[in-house]
Amino acid sequence: MEPSRGLSAPPGRALGAPIAGLALLAAGVVALPQLTRDSYYLDVATTILMNLALTMSLRLQVSTGQLNMAHISFMGIGAYASALLVTRVGISFWAALPIAAVVAALLAFPIGGLALRVTGPYYFLITFAFSEVVRLFFNNFFVDLFGGPSGLVGIPKPSALPWFGRALTFTTKLELYTLMAALLLVTAAVLVRLEHSRFGLVASAIRQGDLLAETLGVNVFRYKLTAYVVGSLVAGVAGAFFAHSHQVLHSSDFGLEPMVLLVVFTVIGGTGSVWGPVAGTVLMTIAGELLRELHHYESLVFGVVLILTMLWAPDGLVALPGKLARRRRVGVSLAP
Amino acid sequence: MRIRASIAAVVIAPLAAVVGTVVMGGAQDKTLSIGVLGPLSGGAASYGVELVRGAEMKADEINKAGGLKVGADTYRIKLVSYDHKALAADAATAANKLVFQDKVKYIIGNAVGATCNAVQTVTEPEKVLFSFVCWGTNNLGPDKPHSFRVMLSQWEVAEPFYRWVKEKHPQIKRVAAISPNDTSGKDTNTAVVKALKALGFEVAADEYYERGTKDFYPILTKILAAKPDMLDVAAAPAGEGGLILKQARELGFKGAKGWTAGTNPFTIIGVAGKDAAEGVWSPANINVRSDFVSATVRRFGAEYEKRYNEVPGVIAVANYAAFDVITKAMQEARSLDTDKVLAALTQKPFETVWGRLVIGGKETYGIDRQFLYPVVISEVRDGKVVDIAQVLPTALKK
Amino acid sequence: MSIDLLVQALLNGFGLAMVYVLVALGLTLIFSILEIINFAHGEFYMLGGYVTYYVFAVFGVNYFATLGFAILAVGLAGVVAERLIFRYLRGKTLNAFIVSLGLLWVMQASAQLSFGVLDKPVPSAFSGIVRAFGLVISVERLVVSLSAIVLIAALYLFLRWSRPGRAMRAVAQDADAAALQGVDIELVSALGFGIGCALAGGAGGLLAPVFAVSPAMGALPVVKAFIIIIIGGMGSLPGAVVGGLLLGSVEGLGSLFMGSAAVNVLGFLVVILVLLVRPRGLFGGA
Repeated sequence: MEPSRGLSAPPGRALGAPIAGLALLAAGVVALPQLTRDSYYLDVATTILMNLALTMSLRLQVSTGQLNMAHISFMGIGAYASALLVTRVGISFWAALPIAAVVAALLAFPIGGLALRVTGPYYFLITFAFSEVVRLFFNNFFVDLFGGPSGLVGIPKPSALPWFGRALTFTTKLELYTLMAALLLVTAAVLVRLEHSRFGLVASAIRQGDLLAETLGVNVFRYKLTAYVVGSLVAGVAGAFFAHSHQVLHSSDFGLEPMVLLVVFTVIGGTGSVWGPVAGTVLMTIAGELLRELHHYESLVFGVVLILTMLWAPDGLVALPGKLARRRRVGVSLAP
Repeated sequence: MRIRASIAAVVIAPLAAVVGTVVMGGAQDKTLSIGVLGPLSGGAASYGVELVRGAEMKADEINKAGGLKVGADTYRIKLVSYDHKALAADAATAANKLVFQDKVKYIIGNAVGATCNAVQTVTEPEKVLFSFVCWGTNNLGPDKPHSFRVMLSQWEVAEPFYRWVKEKHPQIKRVAAISPNDTSGKDTNTAVVKALKALGFEVAADEYYERGTKDFYPILTKILAAKPDMLDVAAAPAGEGGLILKQARELGFKGAKGWTAGTNPFTIIGVAGKDAAEGVWSPANINVRSDFVSATVRRFGAEYEKRYNEVPGVIAVANYAAFDVITKAMQEARSLDTDKVLAALTQKPFETVWGRLVIGGKETYGIDRQFLYPVVISEVRDGKVVDIAQVLPTALKK
Repeated sequence: MSIDLLVQALLNGFGLAMVYVLVALGLTLIFSILEIINFAHGEFYMLGGYVTYYVFAVFGVNYFATLGFAILAVGLAGVVAERLIFRYLRGKTLNAFIVSLGLLWVMQASAQLSFGVLDKPVPSAFSGIVRAFGLVISVERLVVSLSAIVLIAALYLFLRWSRPGRAMRAVAQDADAAALQGVDIELVSALGFGIGCALAGGAGGLLAPVFAVSPAMGALPVVKAFIIIIIGGMGSLPGAVVGGLLLGSVEGLGSLFMGSAAVNVLGFLVVILVLLVRPRGLFGGA
């Protein structure tokens, strides 16, 4: 599946813009707890940060021209791996976190390697098939280990860390928020750096035409696989955090519905820029929380918003300001 | 037309609420916010919708009667209900919103096993009283003192039900149980199989299907090959249970039929058809149209039908009753403090739409947090639901 | 395990396969003309189910007349959706994914609001069973399967011989070249989308008496349709038929040997295997 090509060249090749963006993100993340200590707001903010790690890494894969519907599975693999390492093997969360991420990345090699042999809608559907296999696996196989349809409960929160003679604990909403914020800022820095490196340039070339990039001597497959594995590593980290902050795991947390939401966040924000998923995730999550009490009207409103946004802003929300500035007619071109 | 009516309802309801508060509220009345959670959209929506409606009926009843008098104060009830789409992670977020944003101290109603576990990670540390209809065994326990199950579960129903089957229908020897493949399904089949073995039945099949399945021919072919005398669509929801019975009949099954954790008898009859549903016994159900139920239940059923245009199943009644019991306990405790209400709840029996109700279950769960009331076994006869026997859950016998 | 049981299991698997093939053909027709995957396809199937519920079960119109009406009504709904929304999304697969998801949510929520959440039973138009050689075949399913086969054949003839059908195939092969030859792309895409939806609506109408109708009923056939078209190859009619039979036999036989819940893994594993051997499906062209 191809992303829209409208605003494909990453804006601002110079390092100024990305650093400013990262600084803005960091400032927002640091400012929030100063503004509110409300447990609900912190909880939603933590979910947003976790989803940001997922959508930014998903966008890295989309930037090479492919929509990976199994992204959420690697979050699930990280989550189950970390939960089992802590509860069954007995190692600390801090050891389990990197191991879980590496497990997700290692599994991404064969799965990504196989899936990337096909392209377009076939890639989309084969990754969907993989994600269902992984979900059904957690739900139906090795029930004693993965908890089967009952899921895993009683997963401990991250253990305390020694810090200059003090113990840093991670039990309150604020502490969990801080942990996820730190994980996200590192992730974002790496992803933004990658976007503005040779990798980002090549990815953009690949997106605009595999064949062209191939004839220019780029090993397209290797680039795509790298994006797949790096993205899965990030998803694994997010999964480990999810397991220990929520303390309850169920296979449906890694099924089609949450995956579809990640795609919505990413595409509504815009896949042309590394900041698109940030805009999409933040805005859509807040809107979702505001609309929660509407029950099934929520999906009615959300559905209409999705349709209108894609018709009026086909390149996503981040492309809108530039588009309006250029005073071009806001319309939709029929050309592919 | 109903769309337009529904949209109008959405616009008018808040307006009416505002006007109502101004006109009738009076300055001295306080507001008591009560949370309700559940899947309100998607495949499991029927559970959540019944939970919300049951709670709405009770809340309106209280408000129309002038509010809830607790000690010296009178409270108007305000319901806050959220959809979690049957997803555990979403349920935790919704529970956070109820507890920390809406500041509710009571969450009355939630369904789908894994979401209850997720909600409990939020409610237990905050001492929020949480009542639910989830059937997961691990949803009750000494480590979860603020959690209640307000409906009989498989652990209360399966044993007395099959004891009754053994007594009244001794020719039934081999029983097959089929449930959806999730927490409630697994736990229900486990309880059924345990009861069957304890009572000397043979277990012909212990099978699970993925929720949302419509074509049961493959699984039924396998089950019927094991020649069961009785087919128990244990934890299947009404729609899927109806399809199983219909297709079993098509495949030539003529034995007895049971529905241990039955929810809505009218839907199962509708979907299965009169012939295929003939003779289904269900011990966990309630038949709001029956002559045997109390006048309150019949009135509830009639009002519910008038208001929502659907016949209520056991989940709507259970949540209505739970709301009733919890508000009674508040009045008893003369306080809204959850620990005091908790003490009042477990102290003595309550008179409810179920009849006399006690909160027990320590033998099974290690803590008294399960609503216990008599089990009424009903049978489908010629497309109608007829109550034929009353038995007591083991825990209630003493 | 007796041979009877094996044959019965295979028969179970084939029983409704052709209906899912119908859903799959609609999906793949839309894909080949507009180059988009319509996730709301299952909601058009649901619409067909509710039309059948109201016209057949409530008003008591003849079953086959109802089916024809459901096909027309849902086809018309498809044309409207194409004119209002999807024509702007030709070739933009990612955007179309989001839009069709939005449409799915809108249609499902509207159905829940207007029709209620509980399953609505549709009485069987045909009852009884045929017993032969120790096997059991339900008359209802037999009629449903035969009707589906008739619709598939009609689609084949339409695409093969009729003028609009040939125009559709031309657009599917190369939209620009077809336009140069004077094919009205707009007309073809509206018609193609409408026919695709009509097929889903027909499938919904066929299965309504078998399964009852509910707002979320569209999820299952669409997942099956995805599996079928990947196995068979996008845009291939014989591929879809073979894919449907393959999926049906794998699922039918599989459920004899493993838990029914786990059987769902098999379909996806077949998809992965097929794509690894033939990256464009069994019948997919270059």
